[in-house]
Amino acid sequence: MSKILGVLADSLLAGGLYATMAYGLAVIYGVMRIINLAHAGFLMLGAYATLFLFTRFHIDPFVSLAVVLPAFFLIGVALYLAVVRRLPRSGATPSMESLLLLFGLWLVLQNLAYAIWGGDTQSILTGYTMKSISFGGVRVGVPLVLVFAASAMSLLVLTLFLKRTYVGKAIRAVTANRDAALISGVNADRISATAFGLGTAFAAMAGTLMSTLYAFTPDFGRSFLLKAFCIIVLGGMESAAGVALGAFVLALLENVMGAYTPIPTTFQDAISFSLLVIVLVLLPQGLPRLFTRISRPAHTR
Amino acid sequence: MSLLAAEGIHSFYGDVQALWDVSFEVDAGEIVTLIGANGAGKSTLLKTVAGLLAPRRGRVVLDGRDVAGEPAYRLVERGLVLIPEARQLWPTMTVRENLEMGAYSRAARPERAKSLERVLAMFPVLEKRARQNAGTLSGGEQQMCAIGRGLMARPRILLLDEPALGLAPKLVREVFAALKEIRAAGVTLLLVEQNVPHALALADRAYVLESGRVTRTGPCTELSRDPRVREEFLGIASI
Ligand SMILES: Nc1ncnc2c1ncn2[C@@H]1O[C@H](COP(=O)(O)OP(=O)(O)OP(=O)(O)O)[C@@H](O)[C@H]1O
Ligand SMILES: [Mg+2]
Repeated sequence: MSKILGVLADSLLAGGLYATMAYGLAVIYGVMRIINLAHAGFLMLGAYATLFLFTRFHIDPFVSLAVVLPAFFLIGVALYLAVVRRLPRSGATPSMESLLLLFGLWLVLQNLAYAIWGGDTQSILTGYTMKSISFGGVRVGVPLVLVFAASAMSLLVLTLFLKRTYVGKAIRAVTANRDAALISGVNADRISATAFGLGTAFAAMAGTLMSTLYAFTPDFGRSFLLKAFCIIVLGGMESAAGVALGAFVLALLENVMGAYTPIPTTFQDAISFSLLVIVLVLLPQGLPRLFTRISRPAHTR
Repeated sequence: MSLLAAEGIHSFYGDVQALWDVSFEVDAGEIVTLIGANGAGKSTLLKTVAGLLAPRRGRVVLDGRDVAGEPAYRLVERGLVLIPEARQLWPTMTVRENLEMGAYSRAARPERAKSLERVLAMFPVLEKRARQNAGTLSGGEQQMCAIGRGLMARPRILLLDEPALGLAPKLVREVFAALKEIRAAGVTLLLVEQNVPHALALADRAYVLESGRVTRTGPCTELSRDPRVREEFLGIASI
């Protein structure tokens, strides 16, 4: 019984982090139909930025978010204005040019990190890194709880932003139907810049959070990019809730496999990749569509 | 000077040309209708004028200024608003959100509450459906939501692409009654409509579009006596 609870708790806690990581990719894809292959690069840089603030100014990793989030938002906006907006507009599918550009950017970011910090494995050790607390018999690490709290809070703020503010609604509107947004007076170019900034900030935030859990090198983030793909295929891109659902499902699957089957954890990437393929074949529109399909008859009159 | 004019428009989808040397004009306060068979280029013309499609040649003149190639959102700020073919609502946003987003432009935002009140008075059913997702509305309700969203932008000239398509006769009459009300409020209308008898009865002047070219134009009273128009669009064989 407590093993089940443990698996559920781990999945929930990991799911929050996964959702934060995947939302950055989802918002950029949703607004621009561009797959940000440099996502993993910003995730990795977020971890290094946190390391820098920690070693240089003794700023706690969670407190460093106050600097990392706005900084990477601005980096994302600047990058959009300088490069990404010049790409030919892609239609329903990402253009080859955008994939090549952002893949190239990822390589540049990686090599930048190698040049600055070298290839050594880095980690951030705080007073609470090794501590754990227990909830009703289930022991969980303190960093993991803090990471979950930060993720949950960011997703909550994000949901309110998307639901309540003009800019948030415009992001949803451009995602759902770009032409409809344009003829309603939305400056889609400005919304794209905002979305690119938001996506970059969320990638960096995921990196900051992960730096409190894992050791990292400039190659950090690659396997998380794959997980993020899997999550947005599962959860869709229109809402933070859909992304959170996809994230929880993936985390649950990984933890169940880890706890109840002899499959070693090094095979986790294979799990997410298999899930990606299965979902694309069986449920090409993702989990939220499955729910709307089930609940639709109740609405139609 | 006319409020809106197109001068020698050539529009393309990629390498495929859809409009050839199209010109028209709309004066303030008028209702002008564009009629033509399926595929004649009516929607393409509205999209070009509204800034969703840049013409390869020609000018789109709004208030005496060439606005060809300007993005749609800028034209919305100048008071030119398109209610597109097939409604193009945001299905996963609520009716209220759809309407509110219509008032996104800087010019319309301060008037949002007042505009919403007016739209709900014109289409009371939208008030009942306000919290429902737009994707769950019936076809007629969706059309009213689309017209309502367009009005939220406080247009001076409204471009409508087949607002009555697929509606039952009673709803068609309702939509046309709404258009009259909108005109009475001082909004200029450019209407594309498959229901040619209704359109000719409502509008002041008409343009006939055939295979991407304007072939005839004139006051509606005149055109509805034209034998070719009667045969082709009104289903009345000429003797
Ligand atoms: N997105 C597009 N890509 C390529 N060609 C298009 C596109 N949209 C329309 N066309 C072509 O342009 C021509 C004009 O189409 P348009 O939609 O403007 O006609 P329409 O008069 O609005 O017809 P309908 O009455 O059926 O709405 C058609 O030949 C059509 O095939
Ligand atoms: Mg059409």
